[in-house]
Amino acid sequence: MKHGDFVIIAENINKIYGREDTKVQALKKVNIKIKKGDYITIIGPSGSGKSTFMNIIGCLDKPTSGRLYIENTDVSTLNENKLAKIRRERIGFIFQKYNLIPTLNALENVTLSMSFAGVNFSERMKRAKNLLGKVDLSHRLTHKPSELSGGEQQRVAIARALSNNPSIVLADEPTGNVDSKSGSKIMDILEEINNQGETVIVVTHDPNIAKRGRWTVRIHDGVVSPYVD
Amino acid sequence: MMGWLVLMLIDNFKIAFKNIKERKSRVFLTLIGVAIGIMAIVALMSLGEGMQSAVEGELASLTDTIIVTSGNVNVNAMGGGFSGGGDNYFTQRDIDDINRISNLESVNPVLFGSAIIEYNGEYKPVTLLGMDAVSMSYIFGIDFLGLKSGEFMNPGDQNKCIIGNNIADEYFDTKINVGNKIKINDENFYVNGIYREQGAGFSTETDDNIHLTVRDFKKITGQENISGILIRVSDVSNIEYIANEIEFAINENHGEDNFANVITMSSILESIQSVLSVISLFLLGIAAIALLVASIGIMNTMLTSVMERTHEIGVMKAIGAENTDILTIFLTEGILISLFGGITGTTLGIIGGKIFGIASSSYGGSPIPIEPAISLTIILIGSGVALIVGIISSFYPAWKAAKMSPIEAVRYE
Repeated sequence: MKHGDFVIIAENINKIYGREDTKVQALKKVNIKIKKGDYITIIGPSGSGKSTFMNIIGCLDKPTSGRLYIENTDVSTLNENKLAKIRRERIGFIFQKYNLIPTLNALENVTLSMSFAGVNFSERMKRAKNLLGKVDLSHRLTHKPSELSGGEQQRVAIARALSNNPSIVLADEPTGNVDSKSGSKIMDILEEINNQGETVIVVTHDPNIAKRGRWTVRIHDGVVSPYVD
Repeated sequence: MMGWLVLMLIDNFKIAFKNIKERKSRVFLTLIGVAIGIMAIVALMSLGEGMQSAVEGELASLTDTIIVTSGNVNVNAMGGGFSGGGDNYFTQRDIDDINRISNLESVNPVLFGSAIIEYNGEYKPVTLLGMDAVSMSYIFGIDFLGLKSGEFMNPGDQNKCIIGNNIADEYFDTKINVGNKIKINDENFYVNGIYREQGAGFSTETDDNIHLTVRDFKKITGQENISGILIRVSDVSNIEYIANEIEFAINENHGEDNFANVITMSSILESIQSVLSVISLFLLGIAAIALLVASIGIMNTMLTSVMERTHEIGVMKAIGAENTDILTIFLTEGILISLFGGITGTTLGIIGGKIFGIASSSYGGSPIPIEPAISLTIILIGSGVALIVGIISSFYPAWKAAKMSPIEAVRYE
């Protein structure tokens, strides 16, 4: 099989929680291919399995069965530390609740994942300042998360996601916790990132957000299908 | 690789420091526990070493001296070898035999008896000790005995005496001073010197005694029973051998296996040291228990911290932290807390030791002024123990943090 330009290939992915009589199948035979540089949105109501799907393609969680390739690497067989390396180098996470480290300021939050990657101090600072500048936060470098608005925190999180030059940016309800003005700014940034060649995947329950992707898939009861407006 | 490691350590240090700053009061309480344990260890070690060197320093001056007493005399460490008396006295033949042994500097008998003294019309019984003037100033002149006023006799002096502190200050309605005259068994004596108070130290021998020359002793008591013999050797390295020879010679003279008690300063030193080391061991045991409790405290704080930061751990894993990254972050934090405690404890221990030292010498109850020893070794041991406690007690919490599943941790709110 030729993987070609696909950054993500999911083959027959099943995810089952619990066991025997209490088991819940969160994903059912999911097959999807995502091209490099694509911008896809995944829409589905809460409990549909979209977060599970996101966690699996983000290498935070493992599928119960099936195969997942990230840039031609079969990640379904990797151990914890190798998965950490994939997350660190190839994937940038943006969470609904920002998930910044509360004790660290904006700059330190952005440099943190670079420190896990072993980037040297001056390079880290340079890159972090540059990224925070791109998300219009040059004036907030030393502010802690508690001193930033929701929208600002989410922009720090975007800068953090981009810090190790990932090939895939995964955003899980990125506008879920911010006001609509900040939300549209965040979506503009994501679009900008995509325009620069990054593969962007956004999970949402909001059809208006979903529309911004180049294509959209729908998840319902663990089944992925093309989305029809 | 090395550079990367250093980088990682600096990063971890920063993160750990920030986390500690976030929970100052809890960390402070934990830190106190470590500080108390380390303080105890440092204070004990510095006092212990100080005590040891004080004892060795004071007694080292008498290493050329052998004290011989008869077997049924109760001997204590300092100058107390002459208190018992009893019927088993040494004979002139013993002295002569000892004199035949080579490498001796001097051989002097010590006489022991009692008398009645009179001062301002009051009478009191006292204990007398007769010893030649040179030996007396040599033995009783060492730093922690010594005179509080006056001076020792010179060879040839007559009708002069040195009196104990209690005799001078408490026996009579008016205090006796150097230069006063007292009557011992109706004979006039000039008070040439007064001993310092010894209290309940190594020896209470001088407090209630009057020391005279052998000649005066014989003159006023009319007896010449030799209770003890003081021998100084010219070659200290031979002293144990000479001591054995003396013991053998005297025992043979008296036809008893245990007639003579031969004591050298090094044997006294050994017994003092073994007592000191037992005390130190006991105190160190207490310190170890304090540290054990402290390390449980650190573990508890760290476990709480890990639990509270489960979500944060999940986030760090999600953005690419490996298990070892998380492990070292929490290990660093635990070690930092412990080291802060260690430094605080070391400082307090040094201060505590100093205060104890000052208190012990100004109180005057201690026979030897203890100058606590503060060596680099003690400081290093103090911080080293803290470091080890930190590593041991934070390893389990750190390992627990490292092993968390990223997805479960990141979901934890």
